[in-house]
Amino acid sequence: MRRRDFLKVAGGAAVGVSAPIYLRTAWAQGPIKIGMPAALSGSNAQYGIQARRAAELFARDIKAKGILGRPVEFIYEDTGGDPATAVRKAQKLVEKDGVKFLTGVVLSSEALAVSAKCPEWKVVFMSTINGAGALTAKAFHRYFFRVNTSGPMGARAVSLYLAESPMKRFFALGSDYAWGRDSVGSFTTQITAAKKEVVGTDFPPVGTKDFASYIAKIRQSRADGVYLVLPGQDATIYLKQAHQFGLNREVKPIMEILELENMKAVGDAMVGAIGSSRYPFTVDTPKNRDFVKRFHDLHGIYPDMFDGETYEGLEWLAQVIGKAGTDDVEKVIDAWEDSSYEGLEGPFFMRKCDHQAVQPGFAVECVKDPKYPHPIPRILATYPGEKVTPKCRTEEFS
Amino acid sequence: MANLLEQLLNALALAGLLFLVSAGLSLVFGILRVVNFAHGVFYMLGAYLGFTTVALSGWFWPALVVVPPVVGVLGALLESSTLRFIYRRPPIYQLLLTFGLALILEESIRVLYGPTAKGVEPPPLLQGAIDLGGVLYPRYRLFLVVLGCTVGVAVWLFLSRTRAGLVIRAVAQNSEMADCLGADVARVRTLVFGAACALAGLGGVAAAPMTTAYLGMGINVIVDAFVVVVIGGLGSIGGSMAGSLIVGAAQTWGAFYLPETAMVIMYAVMGAILVFRPWGLFGEEE
Amino acid sequence: MIPSRLWALAALVALAVVPWVLARHQLSLLTDLLIAGLFAMSLDLIMGYTGMVSFGHAAYFGLGAYASALVLLHFAQPVPVALLAGAVLAGAVAVPVGWFSTRATGIYFAMLTLAFAQFLYTVAYKWRDLTGGSDGIAGVPKTPLFWGGPSLASSRAFYFLVAACVVLSLFVCRAVVRSPFGRALQAIRENERRFTSLGRDPRPFKLVVFVIAAVFAGLAGALFAPFRGFASPEVMFWVFSGQGLMMVIMGGIGTLVGPVLGAMLFILIQEVLSSYTEHWMIFTGVVFVLIVIFLPGGLVGTARRLGARG
Repeated sequence: MRRRDFLKVAGGAAVGVSAPIYLRTAWAQGPIKIGMPAALSGSNAQYGIQARRAAELFARDIKAKGILGRPVEFIYEDTGGDPATAVRKAQKLVEKDGVKFLTGVVLSSEALAVSAKCPEWKVVFMSTINGAGALTAKAFHRYFFRVNTSGPMGARAVSLYLAESPMKRFFALGSDYAWGRDSVGSFTTQITAAKKEVVGTDFPPVGTKDFASYIAKIRQSRADGVYLVLPGQDATIYLKQAHQFGLNREVKPIMEILELENMKAVGDAMVGAIGSSRYPFTVDTPKNRDFVKRFHDLHGIYPDMFDGETYEGLEWLAQVIGKAGTDDVEKVIDAWEDSSYEGLEGPFFMRKCDHQAVQPGFAVECVKDPKYPHPIPRILATYPGEKVTPKCRTEEFS
Repeated sequence: MANLLEQLLNALALAGLLFLVSAGLSLVFGILRVVNFAHGVFYMLGAYLGFTTVALSGWFWPALVVVPPVVGVLGALLESSTLRFIYRRPPIYQLLLTFGLALILEESIRVLYGPTAKGVEPPPLLQGAIDLGGVLYPRYRLFLVVLGCTVGVAVWLFLSRTRAGLVIRAVAQNSEMADCLGADVARVRTLVFGAACALAGLGGVAAAPMTTAYLGMGINVIVDAFVVVVIGGLGSIGGSMAGSLIVGAAQTWGAFYLPETAMVIMYAVMGAILVFRPWGLFGEEE
Repeated sequence: MIPSRLWALAALVALAVVPWVLARHQLSLLTDLLIAGLFAMSLDLIMGYTGMVSFGHAAYFGLGAYASALVLLHFAQPVPVALLAGAVLAGAVAVPVGWFSTRATGIYFAMLTLAFAQFLYTVAYKWRDLTGGSDGIAGVPKTPLFWGGPSLASSRAFYFLVAACVVLSLFVCRAVVRSPFGRALQAIRENERRFTSLGRDPRPFKLVVFVIAAVFAGLAGALFAPFRGFASPEVMFWVFSGQGLMMVIMGGIGTLVGPVLGAMLFILIQEVLSSYTEHWMIFTGVVFVLIVIFLPGGLVGTARRLGARG
């Protein structure tokens, strides 16, 4: 037998013998556990359910080969949208179930509370929903990663689009809490820098069920568009009532978040509204079309923003763990920093300085399409990541 | 001028809605001496059942007629199977029982309908807006004003002019005496509770086209209802009307001029009344 | 019939030994239960012994949590200083609120406490510079027991702190209710009109017990902030007060130790069930309604009744 053949045979035999050992070792290490303390009940349940839907699809997709040959296990817990419960559940996931990765947290208040504990627990917190700018600025720490578009990035995308549009006068209506205030502030800064005018602002309390007075004020202000930063249900109510007052024809609704949840509840009354979407399912790439099809096959509906962003986060996390060769948290963090990922929406890059994923921003419009049972987001403009992502560890743009 | 008219109508429409929700709450307290924490959930149930009725029949008007009795019957059943057994206990138990029932009902609605809000379209007759001297005002809100007034007058007439109303008022004043005089106190209580829930259900159906049917609308409205009932006077229908007008006006004008402090002012007014005149503007001093 | 002293001794021994028996996450859960138990117990002072139903008690828990969070985060004082700050702030706010609220009785008192609590909640929600607004204050550290003293960072150390606080509070509250002051409170609960007709004014009594209850609720909140690492407006919301009332009823109104057990039961049901279904609230509600109707004395009340019979 010649030496080359001998080596081939020897190599083949060695692989053949060691393969079972590799698998046995992998099995002995157990599954890779991802904990999801999501709001599955209460008034924000629809967002937690989106995170879970995405995880269910991902679990199915990854089942065949797992990560590093190990199966992936998702453990869901219901936080009810309450920060105290969120921390309790997260602690249980870390201490009892031994998860090393936490994701699927819905509210920014929950995220701030849980994330603050992660350096102590030494687990990775992956945000796929939380938009609060502070998470990658004031409250940043090494164990936090944000895969999703943040609130400031959404406001930025909207402002970039409006800078080019003929609209000149804007009214800003934000709910009276952290997100509402911050986003209106961010928008005001950027739109005035684009030489446009904010003719009025108002901050209705969270849970407002009658916007009639605000609608009257907006109409009086003779604005071209109204920038809306209202949580899901409040936005639904506003859009319905503005439609009933005939306001939407006069003053264009512009939303930092234009999501399917609103479109399904409000229906045709919001056709024509524009805004930013963190993940519009109408992105026309082969990878995304395939994802949408698989999602629809499994769940019977079309993916909304957090369905898509959570799936992207999980896929990227899996890739990064594979690259690190281990689920050891410190090594995964090192592997994730400055890494790239081809997502459903386009290219992503994880900045080392503040762990914010630089990604494309979208300006979308709500349109009717007979192929779908509800209005859908049509992409008006796509902005490259560098243009929509704020400067490192800040909420400002250059 | 047009602006003032619009604001007045907004206040009246909101007052109409608040009245529908709080009238039942006031009655239950006045006659059963029970603070019904589940009241908001019956309102929510009305909205969701309204959605289902509209979805099944394709029409809005049947919902106004069909849903309130259904909600009322459910309320009556709950009262006779749970509350009835604990009337003799200190009031804290009844209050907490309704709190527990509220939790069960709210979650059950979520099981049945899921977490997404359900939109309800107003009937074609009430869609769109009317031009009122330069102001484009939604027809549906005008309907709310009319509905609130009509129901208010109807309930007031019932209580003050009919024999059944007389019996109810007797039970409210002194249930033991009324019992001695031959009134079936237990039955009166069940009927009143059911009627109150039916009113709340009607409020929910009426609200749905304006706010959609959504989880959390119960908790959202119950605090407003408490403020109305406290200001107007627990147990008084006239008080509920007055309270609704005051709160509706305050919230509407507050939202226009002082949006961030409107709620705080409401709590201050509520507090002041509770301290200095706890039986409200139209209630009876105990 | 096992004398209650023996139960108490057994409980103390169990509390002392438990950190070496339970797994780490179980110990964390127990710490959580004890904090909630302290909150419920403080509510029992006004609810069980004086007959005042408060829908605003969570506000004092929240005040304690915020005070503690700010002291720990911005001034890095040892934990006991934060606890004191929380208890004092809660008590201080309870004085004017209590003064106004106790002028009303019965359901009007309950509504008034609700109005005040919602007002305080709104303040916490909007005063972003101080309280962090809707985001709350996160990253609250566990500082040492005293300057240069042992660290409280481990779950065992913090558990002992919480357990010690709860046991001490229990003893203090028991002393209060057994004192002449406490007997006056119970007289007020039984029949306030008769109390007045005997020539005594119930209002100072009610105010004092209201403030004492607020102080202990504030202490519970002050323990919560370093334990969970944050303070947010949700802990002041009236629904949390309502849950406190549920805990008291489930455990046994007017027994002091009952509400502690009631809090544990309430949270445990939630914890265990929510891992199986997201509709756990239905089950909790049903259990609660059944207890209200059939076991009005709650766990401890029913146990004592059965014990007395046998």
